[in-house]
Parts: sequence; C-alpha cells; structure tokens
Amino acid sequence: MSIPQDETARVKRAPKQARTLPDSWLCGLFLAPSGLILALMVFYPFFSLIYYSTLQFSMMRPRIEPVDVGLGNYVDLLNDNEIWQRFAFTGKFVLATVLIQFTIGLAVAYAFQRNFKGRDFLFTLALLPMMLCPIVVGFLWRYMFNSEWGVVNWLVSLVGIAKIDWLGRSENALWAVAVADAWTWTPFVILLATAAFRGIPKDIKESAEIDGASPMFTFFRVTLPMSLPILMIALLLRLIDAFKQYDLFLAMTGGGPASETQTAAFALGKIAFGYFHTGEASALAVILLIVIMGLSMIFVRYLTRLSNRV
Amino acid sequence: MRRNAVLLPALIIGVYLVFSTGPIIWLMLSSIKDRQDLFAWPPTVFFRPVWTGYEAVFGVGSAQNTATAVGLYDSLVNSVVISGFGTMFAVVLGTLGGYATSRFRFPGHGDFMFFVLSTRMIPPVAVLVFYHMLYSRLHLTDTWLGLILVTTFINLGLATWIMKGFFDGVPTEVENIALVNGYSRLFAFRRLVLPIVSGGIAATAGFCFIVAWNEFAFSSILATTRAKTLPVKISSAMGATGIEWTQIFAAGVVLVVPVVIFFYLIRRYLLMGMTFGVLAKGPG
Amino acid sequence: MRSLTQVPIRMLRVSAAAAGLIGMLASPALAETLTFVWHAGTCADTFYNIAKDYPDKNVQMVPDLVPYGPMWHDKIAAEFAIKGAGFDIAMWDSQSLAEFAGGGHAYSMNDVFKESKVLKPELFEKFSLAAYGEYPDNSGKYWGLPVNQDAYGFMYRKDLFDDPKEKEAFKAKYGRELKVPQTYQDAKQVAEFFTRPDKGLYGWGQMGGREYDFATTASNAFLWSFGGELWNPATNEVKGYLNSPASIDGVQAYVDMFKYGPPGGQNWGWDEVNSAFQQGKLAMAMQWYYFDGSNSDPKVNQFADRTKFGVLPGAIGRDGKFRRQTMVGGQGMGLNVYSKKIPTVIKFMEWYFQPEQQKRYAKVCQTGLKSVLDSPDWQSLNSYNKSFARALSYVNDYWHLPEYPELLDILQEEISAASSGKKTVKQALDSAAERHEALLQKAGYKITRTANIPEVPDQIVNPVGKDKVQEESYD
Repeated sequence: MSIPQDETARVKRAPKQARTLPDSWLCGLFLAPSGLILALMVFYPFFSLIYYSTLQFSMMRPRIEPVDVGLGNYVDLLNDNEIWQRFAFTGKFVLATVLIQFTIGLAVAYAFQRNFKGRDFLFTLALLPMMLCPIVVGFLWRYMFNSEWGVVNWLVSLVGIAKIDWLGRSENALWAVAVADAWTWTPFVILLATAAFRGIPKDIKESAEIDGASPMFTFFRVTLPMSLPILMIALLLRLIDAFKQYDLFLAMTGGGPASETQTAAFALGKIAFGYFHTGEASALAVILLIVIMGLSMIFVRYLTRLSNRV
Repeated sequence: MRRNAVLLPALIIGVYLVFSTGPIIWLMLSSIKDRQDLFAWPPTVFFRPVWTGYEAVFGVGSAQNTATAVGLYDSLVNSVVISGFGTMFAVVLGTLGGYATSRFRFPGHGDFMFFVLSTRMIPPVAVLVFYHMLYSRLHLTDTWLGLILVTTFINLGLATWIMKGFFDGVPTEVENIALVNGYSRLFAFRRLVLPIVSGGIAATAGFCFIVAWNEFAFSSILATTRAKTLPVKISSAMGATGIEWTQIFAAGVVLVVPVVIFFYLIRRYLLMGMTFGVLAKGPG
Repeated sequence: MRSLTQVPIRMLRVSAAAAGLIGMLASPALAETLTFVWHAGTCADTFYNIAKDYPDKNVQMVPDLVPYGPMWHDKIAAEFAIKGAGFDIAMWDSQSLAEFAGGGHAYSMNDVFKESKVLKPELFEKFSLAAYGEYPDNSGKYWGLPVNQDAYGFMYRKDLFDDPKEKEAFKAKYGRELKVPQTYQDAKQVAEFFTRPDKGLYGWGQMGGREYDFATTASNAFLWSFGGELWNPATNEVKGYLNSPASIDGVQAYVDMFKYGPPGGQNWGWDEVNSAFQQGKLAMAMQWYYFDGSNSDPKVNQFADRTKFGVLPGAIGRDGKFRRQTMVGGQGMGLNVYSKKIPTVIKFMEWYFQPEQQKRYAKVCQTGLKSVLDSPDWQSLNSYNKSFARALSYVNDYWHLPEYPELLDILQEEISAASSGKKTVKQALDSAAERHEALLQKAGYKITRTANIPEVPDQIVNPVGKDKVQEESYD
C-alpha cells in the first residue's frame, strides 16, 4: 500500500515545525514504559527462580529451614529418567502440533490469496477457534474424543473402524491433544500467512504467471520464499507456545495414563503446585527456560540472517 | 487452467471450514443438551434443548441462590476493564517499542527483542507463586491495576514482535520524505507510518484481546473476589456435581461472544490493512 | 484511518490517569467481609445461603470458588505459601489436612475451643472431628472442623436384583440366590452375570482415572478389605505392607473388575461412573455418597426410582477373615492463620455450628454436628443417610502426612499402570512401595523394620478382621 495521496501533497507543502525531539530521545521515550514493566515483572520472578533453584525448600513448609544444595536440584533432575521422558514427550508434541498447524495454515492462506465474494466473511469465520477460552477447548475436545460417546469416534465408525481409545493411550493422546492445540491456533498461522502472501507485490506474481508458471509453482517458488521472515516469526511464536502447553493436557488427559502424557510444563505444574517442592520446581523451570531460549536463539539468528538476505 | 485455480482453493477453504466450525457448532449444540443426550450413542443432532447450562452461567432460573452466581456481573465488568485496558496498553507499548526497535538500530536492539520475546517463554505455573508474593507486598492483589499490569505484561512480547515485523515492512522512504521536508520524526510516525500499519495494529489488538480475555492462570491466583475475571468465575462451575458439561460449554459460548464482537468492530482495519512484509519497494 | 492511530496516543495519557484512579478506588470501604474458598457445588451454595442469614449484618460472607480438582488444592496452597490473607476460611479436602496443618498454616482449633464459650470438641462426632481436623493422628490437636462428610459407597439397580427372570437365570448358572453382594468375591460373580455388552449392560462401574485420587479411592477399598495396608504408621515401613500378598490380592481383584465394566473404564472419574449409571449401563457401581442426592433425582438420573444405595462390599482375605473397609471423603473447614479477622470468623462459626443452621445444611450436605446426626429425623431424611451412617464405621484413610500429595501421586501412577496392563499388579505395588520408602527417607522419616510381616498386614496395623461375614442389609 502506498502513501495516501493527500498526505503526499501535504508533505510537499512543508511548514516548519517549532522544535523536534532528537531521535535518541524519542527512542528512549518509546522504549521506557515497556522497559519499566518488563523490569518489574521479569527480574523479580526470574531471580527468585534462580535463587530458589539452589535450595531444597518448600513454601508449604516454611518452618523447615531451606537447605542450600547448590546445583543439587539440577543434578537430580537431569539424572532423573522420568524428566527426560517428559522432555521427549514434549518434543514429540511440539513437532506434531506445529506440523499440523502449518500444513493446514499455509494451505488455507494460499486459498485466501485471491479476492472472491464473501472472502472477508469466511476469513473471519476461519478465525473463530482461536477466540475460545483454552480450558473450554480442552473440555470440548475431551468430550469429542471420548471413546464411548464422542463424536470423533462416531465419525470414525461411519468409515467402519471400531471405537478408538483416544485419551487413554499415550500414542493416541499425543495426536488428540495436538489436534486440539492445532485446531485452536491454526487461525493464527492463517492470519499471519495471509498477511505475508498478500504483501508480495502483484507484479512479481504476475510476471511469473506470464512466464507460464502454474499457481502452485508460483506459490512454492515465489510466494513462500518471499514470506519466509514472517512465517518464521509465526513458527517461532507457535513453537514457544507449544512448549508451554498446559491447559489442554490438564483438561484432556490429566497427564495420564500413568504419567505418559505429562509434558515438561505439566510436570513443572505438578512439582510446583501439587507437591510444592519449590526448590525442585524452580530448577526445572530454569531448565525448561534454557531449552526454550536455546531453541529460540538458534531460530532468531536464522531469522536475522534470512531478513538480511531478503 | 483457470478452473483448477478456483477449484483447489475452494476445496481447501471448504474442508477447513468444516474442520474449524464443526466443533464450534458441536459446542453450541452440546451446551443445550441434557445429560441423556450428551452421552447418547450415536450422538444426537435433534433433541429437546435444555437451558440449565446458561442458567448456571448467568445465575438465573435453576441456578439462582447459588454461590457461583454471586459476583457474576462484577466479574464481567472486571473482565471488560482489565482486558480492555490491558490490550490497549500492550498494543500502544508494543507499537512504540516495535517502532523504536525497527527504526533506531540502537546497540543491543537484538538482545532487547530477544528479551522481550523471552517473557513469553515462561510457563505461568513456574512464576505464579512469585508474582503472588510480589503482588502481596505491593498490595496489588485483587486490584484492577494489578491485573491490568499482568495482562499488559503477558501481551507485551507478542505485540512488540508483531508490530516490529509490520514496521520492518514499511520502507524508510516514508519517513524520510517527511524528515527531509522539515517534519519531526514524531509527526512522520503519527501521520504517515501509523496509518500504513493500521492493519497490523488491528491484528495485534485482536491477538492481545483474545489472550487477555481468556487469561486464566494468573487471574485465578492474583485475584480472589473483587477483581475476579469472567473466565475464572465461570470456570468455578466446573466439577460441581460431576463435570457440568453443559455449564462449561455454555460458558464457552458466552465467553466467546465479546471476542467476536471485538473482531467485528475492528474488521475493517483487519482485513483492509492486512498486508505486510515486502511492500512496494517498487513499482519503481 | 485517522481515528485508529490517533486514539492510542491520546488514550494512553487518559488511561494512565484513569488506571491510577481506578487502582485506588478498587479498595472500597465495605462492611467487614469474610472470604471462604471452596469448590463450587450444592454444599458451597448451601453454606453461602445459610451465611446470608447471619444476624450480624456488618459481616458479609463472600465466596471465592474454584473448579473441583487440582486447582482447588493449588489455590489454597498458593495463598498459604505466601502467607497471604486472601481468604479467611478454607474448605479443604480431608486429605490435605496433614499438608496444611503440618505446614503451620491453619489456626489452632484447640485455641478456638479454649477461647470460645460455645465451640467445643464434644459438639462434633468424635470420628468426624478426628478425620477432618486432627493432626497428627491421635494427638488431640485440632486444626479444622467437619464441614462436609463423605464416604465411598455403593449404588445398584434394585429392579435388576428383584427381577424374577434374573433371579432364575442366576440361580441356574451359579447355584445360589441372586443377592446384593456382601463380599467382593460375590460381587465378581454378580458383575459377570450382569455383563451383557451387546445389550449395553455391564455389571460393575468403578473409578480408574489417573487424575487426583480417582483410581486409588477405588483400589484402596479393595486393598483394605482384603487385609492389605498402605503402610505401617508406627514404623514408617511401606515394603511388606503396600506390596503384601493381601494388598496384591485386593488390587488384583480391583483390576479384574474392569472386565465387567464398559471399555475405557480405566480412565473414569466419578463423573463417568455417574453418567454410565444414569444411562442404565451399570448394574452396580462404587460411588461417593455425595452424589446420592443427585442420583435420587429423577431429573438427573432417569433410573432414580430403581436406584438404591448401600455400603460397599467387604472381602474374605487369604487368612479367612472378613473385612469391610472403604475410603473416607469430605471436607474440613479451617481458619487461615494469616487472616486478620480471626475473632470475627470465630464469632461466625459459633453461630454457624448451631443445630438450627446445621439442620438446614444437613438437608443438602453432610454435617458433622453430633446432635443433628443422632436425631431420628436425620436418619430418615432421605434414602441413603442410614447406610451413610453405617458406612462411617468402615472408613479408612490415606496417609496423614504432609508428604501426602506426592505419596498419592505415586500410588495413582502405579495403580493406573496396573489397570492399563502396562505392569502386573505385583510390579506396580512393588514399585510403589520402593518409591514411597525412598520418599519418606528423603523427607527425614526413620524407617524401623518389623521382622515377620504377616501376609495380611491388617493383622498388625489396626486389625479389623472378623471371623464371619458381617452382613449389611440392602432393602
């Protein structure tokens, strides 16, 4: 979109401004409020986390003196096979849900590129799943995936397959929760991807077509690569959120059967609030944060390299 | 060739809409089923509707005189105020921060952006107790100010990143034309750049509002009675005498209405301005 | 376009001022409010409605309700963890008493008994007060009062048991009369008889879910009835008790019963048991007495007129003795030690625990006030109070230790693994015993070993075995 016509005209007329703020001042002013809030809301909890992670302490038993164990909590956690299983499961879940979200999301964004009648209405309709309260989404899918009376099994039975135990077996539950998560957040991908696709100058697409390229070819060789920066941001955001997923597992499986569908975040919730092992929970939180941060840093580095290229 | 170009997109959209709206229709249907119909096999599509779920959500009819109905209206007001202001602050601060990071490549701007993003990485459960403590000391627990602060905070990362993305897509020529002609940066920002990214602002506001409105983890612990938000209030109906499915589903339907209204209000900005990325660095 | 972009900056200034103002205004000066935290339900509603009639109009009772489930415990715990006064009264699950009292977060009820002229321990049923308020066991130290009593009970379809055709068929097949089972051994046969998947009927419904306390509530009833024990409170031993042959018998019997229930039962909580029963899928079910009220309601349960309630069966252990044991439930009410309004709360409690208020309460929930429980009106108030009173003589409970949440979670996980077939019962219980002892040792408990633990450990831990089957009437 180019600069609106009347604005351009007015600019040319250029009356003098009285005084102007130097850029550096403006920069500081723009950043200050955010910086303040972040400082307040991040530093205290974060340093508390690190502090408590070195202790063996429970806030529920304040009368028992905290014991300084240094890195003991970390060692115990990293030696615990269970914790590795949680991370493995989390990784599988993240891959599953992001895969579904992006496959469907990109396909739908592709379909929404051209203008057609009723597109705006359909587009808004497609955003609906994202607007629901996550806990309600969890219960809705739990209801739909119920092996006895769920509508998913009913649809499955129409094709002649017997009732599947979706939530009682971890292999199935992984996909069930991934579907629920993807269902909720695919609209996010659609929204950003559509924005990216529509932002590509028309002439680039048209010239490809004139050269005889099919719409598919244009999409994969022109549109997608040029949208990569935005898509990577979307991917990054979705990955981070998937790592944190808690509400859906709480509503749908409760972490079961046994502990098989406990993600790292779920295990964290259990240790932090269920058992109230404040020290151990803090250490696990730090580990989880390091994992997410590490992966994000790799991503962001790749992202900056990409955007510098484009 | 042209027929295929229409058929495939139509098919994709059609299938997707079934997938995305199907469960929502199921949600609405299930919110008015009685227990027999809820668990019937095969699932029923035609049945006599029952309104107890909605009655429980609004605290009327069969759900009068319940403790859950107390403060329902107040929590609605709380939610509107907290989500409204929280979204607004997040969008404003995110816009300012995104612009600053996009235009003024100050030293450490990459780290700043990463830091901003990292606020989104913390699972709420990890830090809930610490926030509870912090708020208790600052006397922010159960206050509008406290919850607005938290709501702004959780959306700040998202808002800043998305807005920066949009600003990156606006060529610097736009402000340069103004600056060269003696206008202030602030003027260029307000009058020239902002209108271009209005679609981005709308999208950001939409995302932030969704997160703010549906926020549960922090609100459930940091608010007790006076500043309790609607999702927390309604969720307390869960598991009263069994999992009250109709109540949960009715709550889901009721909770989504304000969000839909919000998106309807910003639809013009959302759909019109939805372009971004590689903008007209040409045509020439 | 203009409006959208100019609005933010102008509003920023306005709203900053407004928010500050609102923040200050958000602390209005009201009449004194007391806040109670509980999970939503008819009991909370009744409590709240009764509180509305509190004669002192300067005091207002405000509910802070949470969803039933882990959130309930977490909310209370979070407040205690920061020593906050977000609520004055907490209704906690009976299981959490040790954790909260042990952490020093509950105001001493003994002090209340001393200071108050009205509230005395004798007002309450001795067992109830012990179950919902005493910690440690048998110490005489009280930290809460019974606010809702519950136990794990039994419900069944009377029409199926009375049906002459069924009686005939049963006699032909098993050579004895069709009767509501007194032992789990009987129950197995009856359940098998009524399991007809093609007709949509199953013999037995029980909980198996991994979450919270679902699976172990049911499995413990079996475990205890077969003479098993969770641990030895005197010596802190778990090995040889939790995985004793008697315990294994019990849990095996529990796992076997899933054969006679609808598929997927291994994930059931009480809600699924209710739904299945209300749809006529179950001939018998294990269920909390709490739900008997709604299950007697024809609007909720279409088989209400044919539903009867009773006490759970017992079992004949491998030592030939009969035991009948079930799980205690319910909630206790404690005072937040960090609350600034303790005197006001005590005054309120003095009024609330009067017979008049408790009689109102008993219409919907279960009170612990002796005078109401002993009255004949209460016994005949509904169809299940009588058997509920009987059930109270059979109740047993989990570990009364602050480490309870973790002990529970471990057992839940192992039992869930056994029901889903991932482990054998022996493997599951061995593993659980191992982990429990490791936990106790890490928490600083000394474990002293007993020589020669009997196969049926109940014999040395609070023995309840009887030589003959003690029959309960089911009519």
